[in-house]
Amino acid sequence: MSIGLSRKRALAFSLPALLAITPFLGACFYIFRFSISAETGTIQGFSIRPYLDLMTPFFGRSVWLTVKLAFIATLIAMVLAVPLAFVLTSLRSPLARRCLTVTILLPLILNLLVQAYGWILLLGPSGVLNTTLRGLGIIDRPLFLLFNETGVLLGLVQTSLPLAVFPIVSSVRGLSQEHLEAASSLGASQWQTLRDITLPLLRPGLLGAASIVFAFNASAFAVPLLLGGRRVQMLGVAIRDMISPLFNWSGAAAAGMILIGITLFVLVFTSWLVRITSRNVRD
Amino acid sequence: MRVGLFPNEGGGSYRFVIMALAAIGVLISSLPVIIVTIMSFSASDNTGFPPQALSLRWYQEVIALFTQADGSSAQSVVDATLTSLLVAVIVMSISTLVCIPLAYALTRGDRRIRTGMELLFTLPLVFPLVILGIAFLLIAESLRLDIGIWRIVIPHIALVLPFVLRNCLGAMSGIHPEIEEAAISLGASPLRAIWDVVIPLMKAGILAGLIFALIISFNEFTITFFMYTIDVSTLPIWMYSRTVSSLDPSTLALSVFIIFADIVLIVLVDKLIAGRASLF
Amino acid sequence: MNIKYSRRAVLSTGAGLAAAVATPSILRASSSQPLAGKELRLLTWSDSTGAAVLDHIAKPFEAKTGARVIADRTGSTSEMVAKLRAAGDRPQYDVITLAGVGAVELGGDGLLAKPDLNLLPNLEQVDPRFRTGADGYGIGYLLWTGGLIYNTKTFAEPPTSYAQMWDASHQNRLFLPPSTWTDALDTIFATGKMLGGDGTNADEAFAKLAELRNSILTFGENPAQLSELFRSDALDLGGVYAPAFYAKELMDPANSNMGATYDLDEGFFADLMYTIVPKSKPGDDDVVHAFIDFTLDAEVQGMMAEAVLNGPINQNAVMSEAAKASPFIIKPEQMGEKTIVHDKTFIADVRETWINRYNQTLS
Repeated sequence: MSIGLSRKRALAFSLPALLAITPFLGACFYIFRFSISAETGTIQGFSIRPYLDLMTPFFGRSVWLTVKLAFIATLIAMVLAVPLAFVLTSLRSPLARRCLTVTILLPLILNLLVQAYGWILLLGPSGVLNTTLRGLGIIDRPLFLLFNETGVLLGLVQTSLPLAVFPIVSSVRGLSQEHLEAASSLGASQWQTLRDITLPLLRPGLLGAASIVFAFNASAFAVPLLLGGRRVQMLGVAIRDMISPLFNWSGAAAAGMILIGITLFVLVFTSWLVRITSRNVRD
Repeated sequence: MRVGLFPNEGGGSYRFVIMALAAIGVLISSLPVIIVTIMSFSASDNTGFPPQALSLRWYQEVIALFTQADGSSAQSVVDATLTSLLVAVIVMSISTLVCIPLAYALTRGDRRIRTGMELLFTLPLVFPLVILGIAFLLIAESLRLDIGIWRIVIPHIALVLPFVLRNCLGAMSGIHPEIEEAAISLGASPLRAIWDVVIPLMKAGILAGLIFALIISFNEFTITFFMYTIDVSTLPIWMYSRTVSSLDPSTLALSVFIIFADIVLIVLVDKLIAGRASLF
Repeated sequence: MNIKYSRRAVLSTGAGLAAAVATPSILRASSSQPLAGKELRLLTWSDSTGAAVLDHIAKPFEAKTGARVIADRTGSTSEMVAKLRAAGDRPQYDVITLAGVGAVELGGDGLLAKPDLNLLPNLEQVDPRFRTGADGYGIGYLLWTGGLIYNTKTFAEPPTSYAQMWDASHQNRLFLPPSTWTDALDTIFATGKMLGGDGTNADEAFAKLAELRNSILTFGENPAQLSELFRSDALDLGGVYAPAFYAKELMDPANSNMGATYDLDEGFFADLMYTIVPKSKPGDDDVVHAFIDFTLDAEVQGMMAEAVLNGPINQNAVMSEAAKASPFIIKPEQMGEKTIVHDKTFIADVRETWINRYNQTLS
């Protein structure tokens, strides 16, 4: 720590951001307080009933499904995001870079309802894909790619891809050229360089991106509603149903706290992994 | 000669696999948009794909929406667009202004504090938006706050902080303290060194953060759905009531218009802030 | 005070005139604009029925009275209830149109005011069964009716029983209403009746519904999405669902493949929708009552019925011959034995359990 950052200055530098996040922390506390309320519609008294009421096999399955889908979607998103980041950083033409960046950002921009509609035209039971495959005689019954877990996975990967690509891009930019050049001059193949040099160096960035994507996916509710046809009961959907029309707000808060707990556990675990692995790299 | 992670020539199976995966990624991101764009040029009323004939009639309808002062019964789409823009710009400016010094303090400060703070600023991403929305609404109502546009701005800022901070941190991590030391040894004050040396180097990361904040705020729906009032409403809210009632090609044309507006915003921010050292 | 009173008097005669005089444009003269300069904040549905409220109620009302209607059409009934509950005693809206159950809930919370029936002269033309409800907090609006939606390519003749949904040939080509809609409760009821009960035999009904779990393509969360699935011939049938969403499609089955029927052995469902007024609303009483009265106007009711296939409750509703003959619009006189109108207190009791069980049984 060669540039001394005095405690006072560090605090002064952090203060505006802390102020900006205060209303949110207030909301967090509010949700927590609601989750231990004795009434379902208002905050009154203390009770752990909201949590106890959630201890049903159905809720358990919903938690498991959420974690499973979020995890798989994160893996797929990362496998696609790393190559995208590589391509994005090595494109020389500024125009091509711009186009690719905007393309990757598209899922964040377009109304999800309209995107879902695009997918139905493409992958629906009578969509372009199924009609073509049937026309070619490859299948006789339509493939059901939407309104089930496949559809939800597709939607999760799509909406979270931009969140994965850009952090990876900035870590790729931060990669030290010397490492790569050394590997290349030693005659290592591209695959060897990727496995032994690039990925280990990128690991903190990758884990950081993956944890964002996981958190984002775990709390999704629009995707399971629109591309899962509501048949895939992820936690986000269950929470929405509790807010309205069930008006079990304390239950929704409790379910939210459980979801947050799970995601936080994953985040802390990954940041611990980052610490461990970056220590190894330094050694 | 820079050694790319993605070789421009040769490379055999490696190049092929990387290329194929990236192509899948691009397809997943863009296919629905491509389909929707094609459909928005359809000449017919219904939504059969592919369209039999093409026309611009739905775009004329969109232009009419924006130019005709329509009865005033409906929430005006022009007002909604302007509110969205204003909210997005405020959110973008505030979140970036608070994240730059924080990113600096975290990078140069104590490592343990950094881990904790990073986690704290990731929290908004973790919270299910529906529940956050109703919590913000209940708080605003119980405090009897009459704060106009800030009803939407304040939650949006929390929402974009994780993205802005991560991008700023990413940019800081490549900047070695030696550079600042050099500036200080040449007689600059520490603050001056940050302003003249560190900030310009962070530019790409700051810009990425700005653009994320802009896009997320401009298109945010879930929390806004709880927080909007009859007087302060945004474009995604307006769009929602439209898509629920019908998915005719004019709605699709409107979506294409919104995408276009986003791209213009992105390019504008890029040009204004970045100059030559652009994000792209 | 005096001025206000005279305004009301002008207003009620004005409303009577409106029924007699056909075109609203005649009434645009400033002398007959007793509410000029007043504002009314209206909350209504985000779907096509909400759009119709703007076109056929709000705009003619503005033209007639000079008042300005600021409309928010973003939400389903349960979302409206959630927003109003959160707002408590500081509501943003003057008038809300919503499904019956929402009015009962908000009335129970003590958030609503009782409109003054003396200021609603059009109520006299309304079928007495549908004038008020929700303990006097709700003023009747229109009838929401639900039956089966079917694919005209698959069915040459409309299906005659909900039992058709269990036919193996519709595997993966079936939709059901989402658990969060009252139509889901109707579906449970219909299943119970199909099994020979009175509809409240929920245990049997859920056991039967469980058989559908693997036949469902999707839940009808989004009406526009369903319309697209019918158009591309991916769905055969589903219900209980409201034809109201598909006024346009049902006129053009050749392109949309959509048909709807109420003519079912087990009956069809009708729910009286209400107009409600929150306590301590921002706007004035006179404009609020004028608006509610306007929604009950014979012409307005006729236009709404034609536009979104809701059942009119004004017995003199002015409709075209086509609309009068339309099998999709249920008129008050057609409400007979085959019409199932839920006992609202029974529904309020079982709602939460039924929604949860429906979810757990089917997804």
